[in-house]
Amino acid sequence: MDAEAQKSFREFVAGRSTALLRTAVLLSGGDRHAAEDLLQNALVKAAGRWQRIDEPEAYVRQILYRQQIGRWRLKWRRREVTVAEPPEAGHAPDAAGAAELRLLLRSALSRLTARQRTVLVLRYFEDLPEAEVARILGCSVGTVRSTTHRSLARLRELAPELAGLDPRPQQRSRDFSPLEARP
Amino acid sequence: MNVEELVREALREQAGAEPPAPAGFAERVLGARRRRRTRRLASAAAATAAVVAIAVGVPLLDSGGANDVRPSGVVDSGGVRAHPDQSPPRELIGAGDTVLAAYYTAKIQPQSAKRGVSARTYHLLDPKTGRYEKDSRWSFVAVAPGAKTAAVLERTLPAHRIGLLDLATGEVERWIPVQHGVGGLAFSYDGTRLVATTYDENPDLRTKEKLIGGAGGKETWTWEATFGTSTRSGFYDLDVASGAGPWSPVAPARDTSSRADFAYSRTGRLVYAQYVGGRDGLQQFYDLKGGKAAAPADERYLRSDVPARLSPSGRIAALGLTKEVAGSPGRSWSSLRDPRTGKEIARVRGSHLLAWTDEKHLIAWERVTSLEEEYRPRLVLVTIGSDKVVPLSGVQEPYRPTDVQEPWEPVFARR
Repeated sequence: MDAEAQKSFREFVAGRSTALLRTAVLLSGGDRHAAEDLLQNALVKAAGRWQRIDEPEAYVRQILYRQQIGRWRLKWRRREVTVAEPPEAGHAPDAAGAAELRLLLRSALSRLTARQRTVLVLRYFEDLPEAEVARILGCSVGTVRSTTHRSLARLRELAPELAGLDPRPQQRSRDFSPLEARP
Repeated sequence: MNVEELVREALREQAGAEPPAPAGFAERVLGARRRRRTRRLASAAAATAAVVAIAVGVPLLDSGGANDVRPSGVVDSGGVRAHPDQSPPRELIGAGDTVLAAYYTAKIQPQSAKRGVSARTYHLLDPKTGRYEKDSRWSFVAVAPGAKTAAVLERTLPAHRIGLLDLATGEVERWIPVQHGVGGLAFSYDGTRLVATTYDENPDLRTKEKLIGGAGGKETWTWEATFGTSTRSGFYDLDVASGAGPWSPVAPARDTSSRADFAYSRTGRLVYAQYVGGRDGLQQFYDLKGGKAAAPADERYLRSDVPARLSPSGRIAALGLTKEVAGSPGRSWSSLRDPRTGKEIARVRGSHLLAWTDEKHLIAWERVTSLEEEYRPRLVLVTIGSDKVVPLSGVQEPYRPTDVQEPWEPVFARR
């Protein structure tokens, strides 16, 4: 890495690391330290090929996602996330409870596997189509679909309050299988 | 609102509430990268030094008349001998003019709580059986072309005599005594000379250091070469036939890694060694009296960590990894350049070019894993102008910085 590459790398990190770190925090289920480690690793890898990368942000994001999946593949133990209050059942959602519901959901998200969470982040935070998610993660569209469905089902298990929500599939997820869509 | 919309909102809210990245994050990343590269260099430098030694030399030892057991019947000249199921190799691997003459593994032998030596164990090609046989007498082996002669150092480094080993009989034909202790060897391209790098201490010393940042942030230990404490003292330029030759002092610098062996330039008029700097694979040339010298016109673009160097005719320079394409497995290409201008003339498959087998083919490491998985390579034969690779060996075992045993490394020789 020559001086010029280092300069462009520093500029990229200064400009984009907050946004990238936000994604990393979501991927890590809210664990800020794990997120910083994840992003640091991805940036170290990118730095090694800096002069040959055309789109640095896309490249770093791809490493972020794949690292998460890679950890899952290697069966590395997911760092347990301590949840102060286990999500309690019994609060029926109402208009005023939406914020509370999001908090419950956040805690449920932290208890998914890294792979499940990565797929949800790609589909619903990055708003990527299934085919693009499959390309990034190097798996089939079918795997993306089934993982999405299983992850949502798992969220409903972890946060039964979600049961009150409309389970009907929307246009963008018309491939919901009847089994998976069941609350 | 359905679950997906709620997930979307929850994720956005969580992301939005996150404070910005810490100040100086770029420096933190670059610092981590430097530390990792330094660790990798420690083992890569040691590996390269021996592989560089491949290259070179015609066997000058004359085992003589009736005792001359040539490897006929084993070496299928011009053909390809591959054993894609063997890692490390058990039976002869070779292609064109190049044969895998030996391989070695290195293992940490602790000497005290904090100090150890990364000691090599060589497996040498037995020309009679065509198999690689363990020969634990040697701590360092440089094989001359023809794979009939090797220069060897005994177990304790630095060594005070150099053996010339007849690979057919497994016996040392001659010892060359040396006053300054030797830690590394390399033949000249024509095989008439041997450069012996001298060290005051074992160049493969390691110290035990704490490595933080393993899985789950657990504390782990690793054996590291210590930088900035090189004990390299100079080199002998020996005439193989007579065993005579001058010793030239070369003072170590702060950028000298613990093992930084000298090797001859193609013509043998200069020697060079790797040094550690702003990028990988830097090389410094010296004249045969130990004075710093400019690189020869056709070697100035070469990298010390790419062992293939110049093609047999000297018209093509083998350089480093230049392109990787995702997939399963990922595919790599390395750069071939005009040695005089440094301009790329072609790209050839392979992530690490090890040895030319003729003007059109090389042996390389090439990965069998995807780009995001751990890098695990096998030896392959690659062809200029073709994207096809021919597997020659099985897949090298995985290696982590905390392992005490390093994966096998090849030693090639021209036939």
